[in-house]
Amino acid sequence: MGMSKSIEYTYFPGCTIPFRLPHFELTMKEVLKRLNVELITDEGHTCCPEPTTFPGIDIEAWLTVGARNIAVSESSSRDTMALCSGCFHTLSIVKHTLQSDKAIRERVNRRLKKVGLQATGEVSVKNILHVLHEDVGLKRIAKEITQPLKGLSIATHYGCHLVRPVEATHMDDAENPRWLENLIKVAGAEPVDYEDKMACCGAPIGPSDESKSFKITAQKLRKIRNAGADAIVLICPTCYTQLETQQRKAVEYLDPEFSLPVLYLGEMLALAMGLTDLVLSNSKRYHRVKIQPLLEKMGVDIE
Amino acid sequence: MTASGISADLEFRKWILQQPEGETLLRCYQCGRCTSACPIAAIDDSFNPRLFLEKIILADESLAEERLIWTCLTCEQCEVRCPEHVKIPEILVLAKVRGLVSGNTPQTALDRARAILSEGRTILVSEPMLKTRDKMGLPDLGRPPVEQLRTILKELGTVQRVESAESRYGGDGDE
Repeated sequence: MGMSKSIEYTYFPGCTIPFRLPHFELTMKEVLKRLNVELITDEGHTCCPEPTTFPGIDIEAWLTVGARNIAVSESSSRDTMALCSGCFHTLSIVKHTLQSDKAIRERVNRRLKKVGLQATGEVSVKNILHVLHEDVGLKRIAKEITQPLKGLSIATHYGCHLVRPVEATHMDDAENPRWLENLIKVAGAEPVDYEDKMACCGAPIGPSDESKSFKITAQKLRKIRNAGADAIVLICPTCYTQLETQQRKAVEYLDPEFSLPVLYLGEMLALAMGLTDLVLSNSKRYHRVKIQPLLEKMGVDIE
Repeated sequence: MTASGISADLEFRKWILQQPEGETLLRCYQCGRCTSACPIAAIDDSFNPRLFLEKIILADESLAEERLIWTCLTCEQCEVRCPEHVKIPEILVLAKVRGLVSGNTPQTALDRARAILSEGRTILVSEPMLKTRDKMGLPDLGRPPVEQLRTILKELGTVQRVESAESRYGGDGDE
Protein backbone atom coordinates (compact mmCIF):
# COMPACT_ATOMS: atom_id res chain seq x y z
CA MET A 1 0.00 0.00 0.00
CA GLY A 2 2.84 2.38 0.81
CA MET A 3 4.06 1.84 -2.74
CA SER A 4 0.88 3.00 -4.46
CA LYS A 5 1.44 6.05 -6.63
CA SER A 6 -0.24 9.29 -5.73
CA ILE A 7 -2.67 11.05 -8.05
CA GLU A 8 -2.07 14.77 -8.59
CA TYR A 9 -4.57 17.45 -9.58
CA THR A 10 -4.29 21.14 -10.19
CA TYR A 11 -6.48 22.51 -7.41
CA PHE A 12 -8.67 25.42 -8.44
CA PRO A 13 -9.39 27.13 -5.09
CA GLY A 14 -11.88 29.87 -6.07
CA CYS A 15 -12.89 32.59 -3.58
CA THR A 16 -15.45 31.31 -1.09
CA ILE A 17 -13.90 28.06 0.14
CA PRO A 18 -10.35 29.29 0.86
CA PHE A 19 -11.39 32.52 2.59
CA ARG A 20 -14.87 32.05 4.01
CA LEU A 21 -15.18 28.28 4.54
CA PRO A 22 -11.58 27.03 4.81
CA HIS A 23 -12.73 24.02 6.85
CA PHE A 24 -13.95 22.62 3.50
CA GLU A 25 -10.43 22.70 2.12
CA LEU A 26 -8.89 21.53 5.39
CA THR A 27 -11.07 18.44 5.82
CA MET A 28 -11.07 17.41 2.17
CA LYS A 29 -7.30 17.78 1.95
CA GLU A 30 -6.85 15.43 4.92
CA VAL A 31 -9.28 12.94 3.41
CA LEU A 32 -7.48 13.09 0.05
CA LYS A 33 -4.10 12.69 1.73
CA ARG A 34 -5.27 9.33 3.10
CA LEU A 35 -6.29 8.37 -0.41
CA ASN A 36 -2.92 9.37 -1.83
CA VAL A 37 -4.31 12.32 -3.74
CA GLU A 38 -2.32 15.52 -3.92
CA LEU A 39 -3.63 18.99 -4.77
CA ILE A 40 -1.29 21.50 -6.38
CA THR A 41 -2.23 25.18 -6.56
CA ASP A 42 -1.30 27.61 -9.33
CA GLU A 43 -1.11 31.29 -8.37
CA GLY A 44 -2.05 32.25 -11.93
CA HIS A 45 -5.74 31.46 -11.35
CA THR A 46 -8.29 34.19 -10.65
CA CYS A 47 -12.02 34.05 -9.75
CA CYS A 48 -13.59 31.52 -12.14
CA PRO A 49 -15.77 33.97 -12.60
CA GLU A 50 -18.78 32.99 -10.52
CA PRO A 51 -21.67 31.69 -12.65
CA THR A 52 -24.81 33.12 -11.03
CA THR A 53 -24.47 36.87 -11.61
CA PHE A 54 -21.33 37.69 -13.62
CA PRO A 55 -22.54 36.16 -16.93
CA GLY A 56 -25.65 38.37 -16.65
CA ILE A 57 -23.39 41.41 -16.66
CA ASP A 58 -21.08 40.44 -19.51
CA ILE A 59 -21.28 36.88 -20.80
CA GLU A 60 -18.39 37.38 -23.23
CA ALA A 61 -16.17 38.58 -20.38
CA TRP A 62 -17.25 35.54 -18.36
CA LEU A 63 -16.15 33.23 -21.17
CA THR A 64 -12.90 35.13 -21.64
CA VAL A 65 -11.85 35.17 -17.97
CA GLY A 66 -12.94 31.54 -17.64
CA ALA A 67 -10.85 30.65 -20.68
CA ARG A 68 -7.86 32.38 -19.11
CA ASN A 69 -8.19 30.11 -16.08
CA ILE A 70 -8.48 27.10 -18.37
CA ALA A 71 -5.32 28.27 -20.18
CA VAL A 72 -3.45 28.50 -16.84
CA SER A 73 -4.58 24.95 -16.05
CA GLU A 74 -3.43 23.73 -19.45
CA SER A 75 0.11 24.83 -18.68
CA SER A 76 0.47 21.53 -16.77
CA SER A 77 -0.59 18.07 -17.88
CA ARG A 78 -2.58 17.46 -14.71
CA ASP A 79 -6.39 17.39 -14.59
CA THR A 80 -7.95 20.38 -12.84
CA MET A 81 -10.22 19.86 -9.85
CA ALA A 82 -12.45 22.53 -8.32
CA LEU A 83 -13.89 21.89 -4.84
CA CYS A 84 -16.42 24.68 -5.35
CA SER A 85 -19.46 23.82 -7.48
CA GLY A 86 -19.69 27.35 -8.86
CA CYS A 87 -16.08 27.26 -10.03
CA PHE A 88 -16.58 23.78 -11.43
CA HIS A 89 -19.72 24.91 -13.28
CA THR A 90 -17.99 27.87 -14.92
CA LEU A 91 -14.81 26.00 -15.79
CA SER A 92 -16.58 22.93 -17.16
CA ILE A 93 -18.91 25.00 -19.35
CA VAL A 94 -16.08 27.20 -20.62
CA LYS A 95 -13.97 24.14 -21.34
CA HIS A 96 -16.88 22.51 -23.18
CA THR A 97 -17.56 25.69 -25.17
CA LEU A 98 -13.92 26.12 -26.15
CA GLN A 99 -13.81 22.55 -27.33
CA SER A 100 -17.07 22.54 -29.25
CA ASP A 101 -17.33 26.08 -30.69
CA LYS A 102 -14.49 27.05 -33.02
CA ALA A 103 -15.62 30.66 -33.47
CA ILE A 104 -15.64 31.31 -29.73
CA ARG A 105 -12.34 29.48 -29.24
CA GLU A 106 -10.69 31.67 -31.86
CA ARG A 107 -11.99 35.01 -30.67
CA VAL A 108 -11.30 34.24 -27.01
CA ASN A 109 -7.77 33.13 -27.85
CA ARG A 110 -7.12 36.39 -29.72
CA ARG A 111 -7.66 38.11 -26.36
CA LEU A 112 -5.60 35.60 -24.37
CA LYS A 113 -2.69 35.99 -26.76
CA LYS A 114 -2.15 39.50 -25.39
CA VAL A 115 -1.01 37.94 -22.11
CA GLY A 116 0.84 35.08 -23.77
CA LEU A 117 -1.76 32.39 -23.04
CA GLN A 118 -3.75 29.93 -25.12
CA ALA A 119 -6.75 27.74 -24.23
CA THR A 120 -7.78 24.65 -26.18
CA GLY A 121 -10.37 23.16 -23.84
CA GLU A 122 -8.48 19.86 -23.86
CA VAL A 123 -7.73 19.86 -20.12
CA SER A 124 -10.03 17.74 -17.93
CA VAL A 125 -12.09 19.75 -15.45
CA LYS A 126 -13.33 17.65 -12.56
CA ASN A 127 -15.35 18.05 -9.39
CA ILE A 128 -14.73 16.18 -6.15
CA LEU A 129 -17.22 13.43 -7.07
CA HIS A 130 -15.29 12.67 -10.26
CA VAL A 131 -12.14 12.41 -8.15
CA LEU A 132 -13.58 10.29 -5.33
CA HIS A 133 -16.15 8.15 -7.13
CA GLU A 134 -14.49 7.72 -10.53
CA ASP A 135 -10.72 8.21 -10.13
CA VAL A 136 -10.04 6.92 -6.60
CA GLY A 137 -13.00 4.54 -6.42
CA LEU A 138 -15.30 3.33 -3.66
CA LYS A 139 -13.20 0.24 -2.88
CA ARG A 140 -10.11 2.31 -2.12
CA ILE A 141 -12.13 4.73 0.04
CA ALA A 142 -13.72 1.85 1.96
CA LYS A 143 -10.24 0.77 3.11
CA GLU A 144 -9.81 4.04 5.00
CA ILE A 145 -13.12 3.97 6.86
CA THR A 146 -12.29 3.31 10.51
CA GLN A 147 -15.31 4.90 12.19
CA PRO A 148 -18.39 4.01 10.11
CA LEU A 149 -21.26 6.45 10.55
CA LYS A 150 -23.51 3.74 11.97
CA GLY A 151 -27.16 4.53 12.52
CA LEU A 152 -27.13 7.84 10.68
CA SER A 153 -29.60 8.66 7.91
CA ILE A 154 -28.16 11.30 5.61
CA ALA A 155 -29.87 13.26 2.83
CA THR A 156 -27.84 14.40 -0.16
CA HIS A 157 -27.94 17.90 -1.58
CA TYR A 158 -26.02 17.84 -4.87
CA GLY A 159 -26.76 21.42 -5.84
CA CYS A 160 -27.62 22.50 -9.39
CA HIS A 161 -24.30 23.78 -10.64
CA LEU A 162 -22.35 20.64 -9.82
CA VAL A 163 -24.64 18.52 -11.98
CA ARG A 164 -26.02 20.59 -14.87
CA PRO A 165 -25.67 20.76 -17.79
CA VAL A 166 -24.50 17.13 -18.00
CA GLU A 167 -22.92 17.57 -21.45
CA ALA A 168 -20.39 19.84 -19.72
CA THR A 169 -20.32 18.43 -16.17
CA HIS A 170 -20.12 14.74 -17.18
CA MET A 171 -22.10 13.74 -14.10
CA ASP A 172 -24.02 10.47 -13.98
CA ASP A 173 -27.54 11.93 -14.26
CA ALA A 174 -29.20 15.38 -14.38
CA GLU A 175 -32.32 14.39 -12.42
CA ASN A 176 -31.20 11.54 -10.19
CA PRO A 177 -27.44 11.42 -9.66
CA ARG A 178 -26.26 8.62 -7.33
CA TRP A 179 -22.54 9.16 -6.66
CA LEU A 180 -23.07 11.03 -3.40
CA GLU A 181 -25.43 8.33 -2.13
CA ASN A 182 -22.74 5.76 -2.88
CA LEU A 183 -20.24 7.75 -0.81
CA ILE A 184 -22.70 7.94 2.09
CA LYS A 185 -22.99 4.13 1.98
CA VAL A 186 -19.22 3.69 1.91
CA ALA A 187 -19.01 5.96 4.97
CA GLY A 188 -21.34 3.55 6.78
CA ALA A 189 -24.48 5.71 6.86
CA GLU A 190 -27.85 5.29 5.17
CA PRO A 191 -28.74 7.61 2.26
CA VAL A 192 -32.26 9.04 2.54
CA ASP A 193 -34.40 9.64 -0.54
CA TYR A 194 -36.65 12.67 -0.44
CA GLU A 195 -39.00 14.64 -2.67
CA ASP A 196 -37.34 16.89 -5.27
CA LYS A 197 -33.80 15.86 -4.45
CA MET A 198 -32.39 18.04 -7.22
CA ALA A 199 -34.31 21.15 -6.14
CA CYS A 200 -32.19 24.30 -5.83
CA CYS A 201 -31.12 25.62 -2.39
CA GLY A 202 -32.39 29.10 -3.29
CA ALA A 203 -29.11 30.97 -2.85
CA PRO A 204 -28.57 32.43 -6.35
CA ILE A 205 -31.46 34.88 -6.08
CA GLY A 206 -30.52 36.15 -2.61
CA PRO A 207 -29.16 39.38 -4.17
CA SER A 208 -32.41 40.15 -6.01
CA ASP A 209 -35.21 38.71 -3.87
CA GLU A 210 -34.35 37.53 -0.38
CA SER A 211 -37.79 36.32 0.63
CA LYS A 212 -38.25 34.15 -2.46
CA SER A 213 -34.75 32.84 -1.98
CA PHE A 214 -35.46 31.72 1.59
CA LYS A 215 -38.87 30.32 0.69
CA ILE A 216 -37.16 27.93 -1.73
CA THR A 217 -34.66 27.03 1.01
CA ALA A 218 -37.40 26.42 3.56
CA GLN A 219 -39.31 24.13 1.17
CA LYS A 220 -36.17 22.11 0.60
CA LEU A 221 -35.44 21.75 4.31
CA ARG A 222 -39.04 20.73 5.00
CA LYS A 223 -38.91 17.94 2.41
CA ILE A 224 -35.65 16.66 3.89
CA ARG A 225 -37.12 16.79 7.39
CA ASN A 226 -40.22 14.89 6.26
CA ALA A 227 -37.99 12.10 4.97
CA GLY A 228 -36.54 11.67 8.46
CA ALA A 229 -32.90 12.55 7.80
CA ASP A 230 -30.46 13.15 10.67
CA ALA A 231 -28.27 15.40 8.52
CA ILE A 232 -27.63 16.79 5.05
CA VAL A 233 -24.39 16.25 3.18
CA LEU A 234 -23.40 18.67 0.44
CA ILE A 235 -20.52 19.90 -1.71
CA CYS A 236 -21.16 23.50 -2.74
CA PRO A 237 -20.03 26.37 -0.45
CA THR A 238 -22.89 28.60 -1.62
CA CYS A 239 -25.46 25.90 -0.85
CA TYR A 240 -23.75 25.49 2.55
CA THR A 241 -24.11 29.18 3.31
CA GLN A 242 -27.79 29.00 2.39
CA LEU A 243 -28.72 25.68 4.04
CA GLU A 244 -26.41 25.89 7.09
CA THR A 245 -25.26 29.44 7.87
CA GLN A 246 -28.64 30.95 6.96
CA GLN A 247 -30.79 28.00 8.00
CA ARG A 248 -32.32 29.80 10.95
CA LYS A 249 -33.46 32.69 8.77
CA ALA A 250 -34.84 30.32 6.16
CA VAL A 251 -36.85 28.04 8.45
CA GLU A 252 -38.77 31.05 9.78
CA TYR A 253 -40.65 31.02 6.49
CA LEU A 254 -42.18 27.58 7.10
CA ASP A 255 -41.05 25.73 10.21
CA PRO A 256 -39.62 27.95 12.94
CA GLU A 257 -37.83 25.97 15.70
CA PHE A 258 -36.70 23.28 13.28
CA SER A 259 -32.99 22.66 12.72
CA LEU A 260 -30.93 20.09 10.83
CA PRO A 261 -27.14 19.58 10.92
CA VAL A 262 -25.32 20.06 7.62
CA LEU A 263 -22.02 18.38 6.80
CA TYR A 264 -19.64 19.21 3.99
CA LEU A 265 -18.67 16.02 2.15
CA GLY A 266 -15.07 16.39 3.41
CA GLU A 267 -16.34 16.55 6.97
CA MET A 268 -18.53 13.47 6.54
CA LEU A 269 -15.67 11.42 5.12
CA ALA A 270 -13.20 12.77 7.69
CA LEU A 271 -15.53 11.65 10.49
CA ALA A 272 -15.82 8.22 8.91
CA MET A 273 -12.02 8.06 8.67
CA GLY A 274 -11.78 8.76 12.39
CA LEU A 275 -10.62 12.36 12.04
CA THR A 276 -13.13 13.43 14.71
CA ASP A 277 -10.91 16.06 16.33
CA LEU A 278 -10.11 17.73 13.03
CA VAL A 279 -13.80 18.14 12.26
CA LEU A 280 -14.84 19.19 15.75
CA SER A 281 -12.00 21.67 16.18
CA ASN A 282 -13.67 23.92 13.61
CA SER A 283 -17.29 23.01 14.14
CA LYS A 284 -18.11 25.85 16.51
CA ARG A 285 -16.78 28.47 14.14
CA TYR A 286 -18.37 27.22 10.93
CA HIS A 287 -21.52 25.41 12.04
CA ARG A 288 -24.50 27.24 13.47
CA VAL A 289 -26.42 23.97 13.83
CA LYS A 290 -24.47 21.68 16.16
CA ILE A 291 -23.09 18.49 14.64
CA GLN A 292 -22.25 16.85 17.99
CA PRO A 293 -25.65 15.08 18.21
CA LEU A 294 -24.65 13.10 15.12
CA LEU A 295 -21.59 11.76 16.90
CA GLU A 296 -23.64 11.00 19.98
CA LYS A 297 -26.08 9.02 17.86
CA MET A 298 -23.15 7.04 16.45
CA GLY A 299 -22.01 6.36 20.01
CA VAL A 300 -18.71 8.23 19.65
CA ASP A 301 -17.29 9.69 22.85
CA ILE A 302 -16.66 13.40 22.55
CA GLU A 303 -15.13 15.70 25.14
CA MET B 1 -37.99 53.69 -31.04
CA THR B 2 -39.92 50.91 -29.48
CA ALA B 3 -43.63 50.43 -29.23
CA SER B 4 -44.54 47.86 -26.58
CA GLY B 5 -40.84 46.95 -26.46
CA ILE B 6 -40.50 45.84 -30.08
CA SER B 7 -37.91 47.65 -32.16
CA ALA B 8 -38.55 47.90 -35.88
CA ASP B 9 -35.27 46.25 -36.84
CA LEU B 10 -35.73 43.31 -34.42
CA GLU B 11 -32.23 44.12 -33.17
CA PHE B 12 -32.61 42.42 -29.75
CA ARG B 13 -33.83 39.17 -31.29
CA LYS B 14 -31.07 39.19 -33.89
CA TRP B 15 -28.46 39.79 -31.21
CA ILE B 16 -29.78 36.88 -29.09
CA LEU B 17 -29.62 34.54 -32.09
CA GLN B 18 -25.96 35.44 -32.67
CA GLN B 19 -24.89 34.68 -29.09
CA PRO B 20 -23.55 31.31 -27.88
CA GLU B 21 -26.57 28.97 -27.51
CA GLY B 22 -28.89 31.84 -28.54
CA GLU B 23 -30.13 30.10 -31.68
CA THR B 24 -31.62 27.27 -29.57
CA LEU B 25 -34.46 29.79 -29.03
CA LEU B 26 -35.85 28.91 -32.46
CA ARG B 27 -36.56 25.35 -31.32
CA CYS B 28 -39.11 26.53 -28.75
CA TYR B 29 -42.70 25.58 -29.65
CA GLN B 30 -44.21 26.98 -26.45
CA CYS B 31 -45.20 23.70 -24.79
CA GLY B 32 -44.67 25.16 -21.31
CA ARG B 33 -42.73 22.31 -19.71
CA CYS B 34 -40.14 24.87 -18.63
CA THR B 35 -42.73 26.73 -16.59
CA SER B 36 -44.12 23.58 -15.02
CA ALA B 37 -40.57 22.58 -14.01
CA CYS B 38 -39.59 26.00 -12.62
CA PRO B 39 -39.41 26.29 -8.81
CA ILE B 40 -39.82 30.07 -8.97
CA ALA B 41 -42.91 29.84 -11.20
CA ALA B 42 -44.33 27.51 -8.54
CA ILE B 43 -44.24 30.30 -5.94
CA ASP B 44 -44.70 33.35 -8.20
CA ASP B 45 -47.30 33.44 -10.97
CA SER B 46 -45.64 36.39 -12.66
CA PHE B 47 -42.47 34.38 -13.32
CA ASN B 48 -43.15 32.35 -16.45
CA PRO B 49 -40.23 31.04 -18.55
CA ARG B 50 -42.52 30.08 -21.44
CA LEU B 51 -43.77 33.66 -21.68
CA PHE B 52 -40.21 34.99 -21.43
CA LEU B 53 -39.27 32.89 -24.45
CA GLU B 54 -42.40 33.98 -26.32
CA LYS B 55 -41.46 37.61 -25.79
CA ILE B 56 -37.99 37.10 -27.21
CA ILE B 57 -39.30 35.05 -30.14
CA LEU B 58 -41.61 38.00 -30.91
CA ALA B 59 -38.62 40.37 -30.59
CA ASP B 60 -40.07 42.13 -27.55
CA GLU B 61 -37.17 43.86 -25.76
CA SER B 62 -39.06 44.74 -22.61
CA LEU B 63 -37.83 41.55 -20.91
CA ALA B 64 -34.39 43.11 -20.52
CA GLU B 65 -35.99 45.84 -18.40
CA GLU B 66 -37.80 43.51 -16.03
CA ARG B 67 -36.34 42.95 -12.62
CA LEU B 68 -38.10 39.59 -12.59
CA ILE B 69 -35.46 37.99 -14.83
CA TRP B 70 -32.96 38.35 -11.99
CA THR B 71 -35.06 35.98 -9.89
CA CYS B 72 -34.11 33.09 -12.18
CA LEU B 73 -32.23 30.64 -9.92
CA THR B 74 -30.08 29.41 -12.85
CA CYS B 75 -30.90 25.92 -11.54
CA GLU B 76 -31.43 24.68 -15.13
CA GLN B 77 -34.43 22.53 -14.19
CA CYS B 78 -36.28 24.09 -17.17
CA GLU B 79 -33.57 23.09 -19.60
CA VAL B 80 -33.40 19.55 -18.22
CA ARG B 81 -37.15 19.13 -18.83
CA CYS B 82 -37.29 20.96 -22.19
CA PRO B 83 -38.04 18.43 -24.97
CA GLU B 84 -36.08 20.59 -27.43
CA HIS B 85 -33.11 21.35 -25.15
CA VAL B 86 -33.58 25.07 -25.53
CA LYS B 87 -30.85 26.77 -23.49
CA ILE B 88 -33.41 28.72 -21.47
CA PRO B 89 -31.12 29.79 -18.60
CA GLU B 90 -28.53 31.13 -21.08
CA ILE B 91 -31.20 33.01 -22.99
CA LEU B 92 -32.32 34.69 -19.77
CA VAL B 93 -28.67 35.54 -19.05
CA LEU B 94 -28.56 37.30 -22.43
CA ALA B 95 -31.62 39.35 -21.49
CA LYS B 96 -29.87 40.31 -18.25
CA VAL B 97 -26.78 41.44 -20.18
CA ARG B 98 -29.00 43.73 -22.29
CA GLY B 99 -30.44 45.28 -19.16
CA LEU B 100 -27.10 46.47 -17.75
CA VAL B 101 -27.14 49.84 -19.51
CA SER B 102 -30.64 50.66 -18.33
CA GLY B 103 -29.87 49.86 -14.69
CA ASN B 104 -31.68 46.51 -14.51
CA THR B 105 -28.86 44.81 -12.58
CA PRO B 106 -29.03 44.18 -8.80
CA GLN B 107 -26.51 46.26 -6.86
CA THR B 108 -24.98 43.11 -5.30
CA ALA B 109 -24.27 41.71 -8.75
CA LEU B 110 -22.51 44.93 -9.75
CA ASP B 111 -20.46 44.99 -6.54
CA ARG B 112 -19.40 41.40 -7.10
CA ALA B 113 -18.37 42.10 -10.69
CA ARG B 114 -16.35 45.12 -9.57
CA ALA B 115 -14.55 43.00 -6.97
CA ILE B 116 -13.73 40.37 -9.60
CA LEU B 117 -12.37 42.97 -12.01
CA SER B 118 -10.33 44.88 -9.41
CA GLU B 119 -9.20 42.08 -7.06
CA GLY B 120 -9.53 38.96 -9.18
CA ARG B 121 -11.84 37.60 -6.50
CA THR B 122 -15.49 37.97 -5.49
CA ILE B 123 -14.50 38.87 -1.95
CA LEU B 124 -11.98 41.18 -0.35
CA VAL B 125 -9.42 39.05 1.44
CA SER B 126 -8.71 40.28 4.98
CA GLU B 127 -5.76 39.75 7.31
CA PRO B 128 -7.75 37.43 9.67
CA MET B 129 -8.73 35.25 6.69
CA LEU B 130 -5.07 34.81 5.77
CA LYS B 131 -4.20 34.07 9.40
CA THR B 132 -6.87 31.38 9.60
CA ARG B 133 -5.50 29.68 6.49
CA ASP B 134 -2.02 29.86 7.92
CA LYS B 135 -3.15 28.32 11.23
CA MET B 136 -4.87 25.51 9.36
CA GLY B 137 -1.68 24.84 7.42
CA LEU B 138 -3.34 25.69 4.10
CA PRO B 139 -1.17 27.07 1.28
CA ASP B 140 -0.73 30.77 0.50
CA LEU B 141 -2.67 31.45 -2.70
CA GLY B 142 -0.83 34.62 -3.65
CA ARG B 143 -2.45 37.56 -5.36
CA PRO B 144 -4.39 36.94 -8.57
CA PRO B 145 -2.88 38.56 -11.70
CA VAL B 146 -5.58 41.23 -12.06
CA GLU B 147 -3.62 43.24 -14.68
CA GLN B 148 -4.06 40.29 -17.04
CA LEU B 149 -7.83 40.46 -16.67
CA ARG B 150 -7.80 44.12 -17.65
CA THR B 151 -5.66 43.36 -20.70
CA ILE B 152 -7.77 40.49 -22.04
CA LEU B 153 -11.03 42.38 -21.45
CA LYS B 154 -9.85 45.66 -22.97
CA GLU B 155 -11.51 45.24 -26.37
CA LEU B 156 -14.81 44.31 -24.69
CA GLY B 157 -14.86 47.47 -22.56
CA THR B 158 -16.11 45.41 -19.62
CA VAL B 159 -14.26 47.32 -16.90
CA GLN B 160 -15.54 50.74 -17.98
CA ARG B 161 -19.08 49.45 -18.53
CA VAL B 162 -19.23 47.85 -15.09
CA GLU B 163 -17.65 50.89 -13.42
CA SER B 164 -20.14 53.31 -14.95
CA ALA B 165 -23.22 51.06 -14.56
CA GLU B 166 -25.79 52.01 -12.00
CA SER B 167 -28.47 49.86 -10.43
CA ARG B 168 -32.05 51.01 -10.17
CA TYR B 169 -32.39 48.79 -7.14
CA GLY B 170 -29.98 50.15 -4.54
CA GLY B 171 -28.26 47.95 -1.96
CA ASP B 172 -29.30 44.99 0.18
CA GLY B 173 -32.76 44.60 1.60
CA ASP B 174 -34.59 46.69 -1.00
CA GLU B 175 -37.92 45.27 -2.04
